[in-house]
Amino acid sequence: MQEFLTYGIYGTAFFLMLLGLYAALVKKNLVKIVIGLSVLDSGLHLLFVAVGYISNGTAPIFSPAVVGKNVVMVDPVPQALVLTAIVIGFGVTAVALALVVRLYRKHNTTNIDEIKNLKW
Amino acid sequence: MVISDPVYFIALPLLTAFLLPLFGKIYKPLIGIIPGLVFAFIAYISFDLYLNLVPGKPIVIQLAGWAPPWGINLVFSEFSGFVVTLITFLAFLVWVYSYNFKKVGFDNSKKYFTLLMLLVAGSIGVVLTGDIFNMFVFLEITAISSYGLTAFYKGRDSAEAAFKFLLIGSLSSTFILLAILLLYKQVGTLNMAEIAVKAQSIDPKMKSIIAILFMIGLGIEAEMFPMNGWVPDAYSQAPGPVAASFAGMLAKSGIYALVRVFYTVLEVDGIFDLLLIMGILTIIFAEFSAMRQTRLRRMLAYSSIGQMGLIMVAFSFNTKAGIFAGLFLMFNHAIIKSLLFLASGFLTYSTKQKKIRDLDGFGKIMPFTSLMFGLGAFAIVGLPPFSGFWGKLNMLVATADSNLYFVIALILLVAVVEVVYYFKVIGRLYFRQQHKEVEVHKPTWNAIAAMSVLAIVIIGVGIYPDLITDYLTKATNELFDKASYIHNVLPNLSLN
Repeated sequence: MQEFLTYGIYGTAFFLMLLGLYAALVKKNLVKIVIGLSVLDSGLHLLFVAVGYISNGTAPIFSPAVVGKNVVMVDPVPQALVLTAIVIGFGVTAVALALVVRLYRKHNTTNIDEIKNLKW
Repeated sequence: MVISDPVYFIALPLLTAFLLPLFGKIYKPLIGIIPGLVFAFIAYISFDLYLNLVPGKPIVIQLAGWAPPWGINLVFSEFSGFVVTLITFLAFLVWVYSYNFKKVGFDNSKKYFTLLMLLVAGSIGVVLTGDIFNMFVFLEITAISSYGLTAFYKGRDSAEAAFKFLLIGSLSSTFILLAILLLYKQVGTLNMAEIAVKAQSIDPKMKSIIAILFMIGLGIEAEMFPMNGWVPDAYSQAPGPVAASFAGMLAKSGIYALVRVFYTVLEVDGIFDLLLIMGILTIIFAEFSAMRQTRLRRMLAYSSIGQMGLIMVAFSFNTKAGIFAGLFLMFNHAIIKSLLFLASGFLTYSTKQKKIRDLDGFGKIMPFTSLMFGLGAFAIVGLPPFSGFWGKLNMLVATADSNLYFVIALILLVAVVEVVYYFKVIGRLYFRQQHKEVEVHKPTWNAIAAMSVLAIVIIGVGIYPDLITDYLTKATNELFDKASYIHNVLPNLSLN
């Protein structure tokens, strides 16, 4: 069961990253590209949390229930990093969507092939 | 000494950037004045700190009272201090230039100065930080504010350029994040000095994977070859002073991060060979693309990529002479490219297409701006008595030291190519008749002041290079001496 869970989480993370990369690089619709970047980020965040997990660990919070007892805790650092990375990803997505709105207003399309004033 | 604390470099621009709209509500001209005061102050303290730095004793600051390796620390050393001083100096000049930039109205100048201050804070943060994840965060601050600045003008195709930049930039940040994750998994720490100690025990294959991920991720900001598709678009669509600050700050912090990671944090066999190859490819690609450009800004952007390639080649030698040449080229690129972009802002202002052939005879109608552009072009090509000459000379000496004779041939060939495309522009400026009447935009007094200061620095360093060689030598020694960096950040750990 434990092993299945481990492979499941790592597998999902890599699958999400590949899916996001595919969408960001291959899709023609600007909004789909932004969604792809977002999915790519999510996969990476899942990978972060999975790397920090220690089997049978509890949440890394020092409370009276755990202090002094022999309790295994998961690594808190990757979780802290993921929180930061999520906020950054949110910011990037917001900027990207704002740019998509501007591109749509100017070109009246979200198809990347029709927006070619600069050489892509 | 109380007031001179490296924390101000990051805290002050970040804080005032977000308070700027409030200041604007109180009194409108404050929007333009406050950034100037902030930039002047951080430029002053960076000069103060840098000139009073004791050799071998960098200033290490702990943030929030947590000692490294747990907390985040800032390291103001001879190398990072040099880059920070360069960035703050340019930030102040960019402010002087754009203080009453014509197209910027009140609402726009609010956004412009907010984003510019975020860009400055982010670039300085990348350079100063001693924590690898913190470096990622600052890279993202720099990147997001650059997307905003690229998309600044609504009339042009700037949103397109910005989206392209964003797409490449966020893929790069994914690579950096993945590299940091793998590194953390291997060594269990994020402090750069502690990683440097523990990295020796990482499996070499894993280490190469991490190094390549870092190279892809950081290479995008350092304008490395396959990942630099954003550069010409962003430089040509962004406002003139923004292009100058991209060349002076964004690219500089990118190359700093790359160099710091490969020299101090991770020592990987063969990574410098890879850097050499990528640098050479970057130079070849950029210089020959620059020759074919018909628009001035795109030409300057490709030339900027070429210069960054040359800097990468210089750092890839892994010798003291190479680092010295690389630092000299970094200094030259920041100063001269900024001057060229600032001058081109006024040269192309009155032409619609921003094409080079529209500039015929501008030497007569815009004498000062043309003179500044010509001076910058002579300097970047590497003619004496300008500072560009000493950079190229040191580069050739360093290359000869490393016995890479084909690189010498390449550098000389590239110099010829640069002469061709820069002199094409100068020829049009001075030796052609103006073919149609254009509305002349005389440079404003503050733009003249900013460009003059840059020109004086270029000529001053060109005639008397000893002004900076002393500092460059110190920075070289700091970067080359990995053990003392580790010892200064973490006195209890040592490299064995």
